[in-house]
Amino acid sequence: MDRRVVITGEAAITPIGNTKEQIVKNLLTGVSGVKAIREDAFLSKYIHSKVFGTIDYPIEYDFDRKYRKTMGPVSFYACQVVKDLLAKAGLDEAFISSGRLGVAFGSIHGSPSMQREIYRNFYQNNESAASAISAVSYLKSMVHTTAVNITKMFHITGRVLSSCTACTTSSQSVGFGYEMIKYGLQDAMICGGADEYDLTTVAVFDNLLACSTAYNDTPHLTPRPFDADRDGLVVGEGAGAVLLEEYERARKRGANIIGEIVGFSCNNNGGDLILPNLDGIIQAIRLGLESAGIGPESVDFVSAHATATKMGDVLEAKAIERVFGKSTPVTGLKSYIGHTMASCGIIETILTLHMIEKGFIAPTLHLDRVDPRCANINHATRLIETPIRTAAVQNFAFGGVNTSLLVKAFH
Amino acid sequence: MTRQEIQKEIYKIFQEQFEIEDPGLDDDLKDDHGFDSIDAVELFIELEKVLQVNMDQEIKKEAMEHIRTVNQILDYVDQFLPRQKTSNPNLSSK
Repeated sequence: MDRRVVITGEAAITPIGNTKEQIVKNLLTGVSGVKAIREDAFLSKYIHSKVFGTIDYPIEYDFDRKYRKTMGPVSFYACQVVKDLLAKAGLDEAFISSGRLGVAFGSIHGSPSMQREIYRNFYQNNESAASAISAVSYLKSMVHTTAVNITKMFHITGRVLSSCTACTTSSQSVGFGYEMIKYGLQDAMICGGADEYDLTTVAVFDNLLACSTAYNDTPHLTPRPFDADRDGLVVGEGAGAVLLEEYERARKRGANIIGEIVGFSCNNNGGDLILPNLDGIIQAIRLGLESAGIGPESVDFVSAHATATKMGDVLEAKAIERVFGKSTPVTGLKSYIGHTMASCGIIETILTLHMIEKGFIAPTLHLDRVDPRCANINHATRLIETPIRTAAVQNFAFGGVNTSLLVKAFH
Repeated sequence: MTRQEIQKEIYKIFQEQFEIEDPGLDDDLKDDHGFDSIDAVELFIELEKVLQVNMDQEIKKEAMEHIRTVNQILDYVDQFLPRQKTSNPNLSSK
């Protein structure tokens, strides 16, 4: 069974806004959401990178305590985007609880702030602190906390999948959700990812010498994907969700179809857990095209993973050149939002959907001087007004996981 | 602590921890106020602080099966508090 899978809703919380209007405006005007890191009581003193893709606008949450009691910050983001998504999507309640709607949603490691609460009690080494390590602590912090807080809040009874593959978490959510509908296991899926503000993630990349540090006084000028003066990634926070539906069902109910997923690939480098791998990336891109049944000439836009690390960008540019050649426009959207970890794939997919709808390709920010080793592809260095029929959204993760999503304008 | 004083403390816990305002003494806490087993465990932790006792796991397990209303919580505390003062092996003063 091969069924068409369309996108009938989106919602995001990103460093450049949480509405389509704000996000599109910032893409069109080249506004970055990277800000100075917030001071905390410990790690911010020691971390060399002082920049972060930050949500600095207020979000009005309106969740009853019965839901809040099992939610850490990451689940607040997750449930809010799904709430916004469902408010726009117009699904009826009977379908939501029918078992034919599932959830594919993840984060890179649940809620790190709630995990710290557990260990704060652990290290106190006394009985009352030990008894404070409760079921609630676990429910707030566990790896699949986002997915099941979503199912609880919205009474969703279908399949649950909670990818936890670092930077490919949410691209896997979309891809695996797409496959569940395509092959008839579910009729609709809420797919996405979220990550909360967390400096331990920054510390990991900082200690790996992979974080940007040269722009601490000018956060809005980093990260700089493919630029000769790039100096590493910028960790960020955020969330995003899309509603995928089987096409006939969406058409019959008169859903607002905003795009279509036509292909997905996921592979592994089969070796090193950190270093990017040219062959693995090329293979993932090719498998994505094969899955969609299209050639590289059909792709009008590539959303590159492009974290602005020294080697990652070079290898990705080589892979894009090898598969797509020198003419397909390429943008590194992390130049606007930083690397939002588990949510990067879904946010970049949603930004791509906005560009498909509005007919433009946003340029990679700060790409003033292309690194000669990344030069053999068609970088979008200025705003391009053009229709996008099909886009490839690429993401690569620690652990050697690679994904490619093929997103098509709906006709 | 008198039953009335304990009731006042329980109402304070319900308001501050569970956002449940002045439940009726015989309201079904689960059905009427969404008070579930996770909340019950949290309530025990708060009661231990207020009453300055440690309830062992057996007491908590038994209580979980019996407390559906505020009155039942009060009965339970009544049942164990005096025994605790007379060296109930399952309850120890902090």
